[in-house]
Amino acid sequence: MSHALHRHGTPEQLKNDYTFYARASRFVNREGCGPKLRKILSILLKEKNLVNFGSSQAGKSRKAGLDPDAYAATLDKAYGVAACFSDKDAVRSVLKNLKEADTGISIVISGLIDEIVKIAKEVDVKPHTAFLSLGVHGKRALLPEDSILEITTMCGHGLVSSRLAKAVMKRVEAGKITPEAGADMLAQPCPCGIFNVDRCRTILESKGKK
Amino acid sequence: MLIDKEKCIGCDECHPYCPVGAIAAVAWEGGSVSEIDQAACVECGCCYERSHVCPVDAIYMPKLEWPRCLREYFSNPNVTHPSTTGNGRGTEEMKTNDVTGRFTRGTAGVALEMGRPGVATSFKDLETVAMAIARLGVEFEPDNPVAELMADTKTGKFHEAVLNERVLSAILEIKIPVGKLKEVLAAVKEVSAKIDTAFSLDLISRVNPDGSTPVLAIATEAGFIPRPNAKTNVGLGRPLFEEA
Repeated sequence: MSHALHRHGTPEQLKNDYTFYARASRFVNREGCGPKLRKILSILLKEKNLVNFGSSQAGKSRKAGLDPDAYAATLDKAYGVAACFSDKDAVRSVLKNLKEADTGISIVISGLIDEIVKIAKEVDVKPHTAFLSLGVHGKRALLPEDSILEITTMCGHGLVSSRLAKAVMKRVEAGKITPEAGADMLAQPCPCGIFNVDRCRTILESKGKK
Repeated sequence: MLIDKEKCIGCDECHPYCPVGAIAAVAWEGGSVSEIDQAACVECGCCYERSHVCPVDAIYMPKLEWPRCLREYFSNPNVTHPSTTGNGRGTEEMKTNDVTGRFTRGTAGVALEMGRPGVATSFKDLETVAMAIARLGVEFEPDNPVAELMADTKTGKFHEAVLNERVLSAILEIKIPVGKLKEVLAAVKEVSAKIDTAFSLDLISRVNPDGSTPVLAIATEAGFIPRPNAKTNVGLGRPLFEEA
């Protein structure tokens, strides 16, 4: 799940972009974790501001048609559940509910680190381990422009192509499709459910206005 | 991935879906069809099972033999990697650190996600970086699927047969004492000018009781600017690993 790291953008652009990942360890508590993952999924689904969810094991995200009930039924053979949110209140609410549920499955939150530390304090949870991004290095000339990276890095496996992001951006700018439709189109290749379509729509809207 | 030229209608709709730009139009029987550059294709499945973009089902996945199958193992997260029994390129790293204790206080994890974001890499570039940091006496994470591709994990030398294989990304992952971090980051900086790809750099550390992260200052001193967004394991895993 290092794929939830390195989401590109300024702090202002990232303030509405958070992901959750619940992960059982194959060395400690994966055996029989299905019912616990189902409990976690139910907590995520109950949150009204859930933006997207999914899993690479399921092979697709909610935005690509993953049915929550069918997905829940597969969790006996899974080891993780991922989801994304666009606001801090949702993050606080989900974290509080996960703490109370006490499933024993490890929980990782991605987002602005200062905000997560603050929310953890409010919910009386102690951050255990941090995974920091020290940026992109090497042959940076190969990278697309910032506005494209803001979209493509929301799929950390790199499955949302920069060419597709550019093509969709052009169609939105030309008024051929709505930003909503463009965001849904770009979410299709990412199976893990951490592609934040709300944030993508906002990025596309700003391009459309220009 | 391959495209059946007899079926392809040359609509070019699949081209933008390829993360590495491997699909292009070629002349065929007086018209044009799409073709996938097999040297560049990383077998991620984006043009096929994820997008379902082809209106005539001309795109298909052939049986992949060794070592080409590595492209799919590392690039397609829907595929279970045989060596980790997990999907994707990496390990549990810090995701489950509250129960595994993989990173204790005083240790740091460094990962180089070669080819990320979205530019792809060959294992040749992984070898270049691996050999540069192996000289510092670091140990590569044995559970990471990259380690089994090395002929010698002490030197970072890879098996010749895999060097030209390309993947969307693959991770060089090490665990070191915090005292060695500055030296490792300096080596990373030096070798970054010698490769033909980009990489995302990761740093893992236990969080201090006050919420601060002890390695931040070292990274900054080494000339790296930590991004404001990160991943945080919030310590809800059980049984909690107790450090000695």
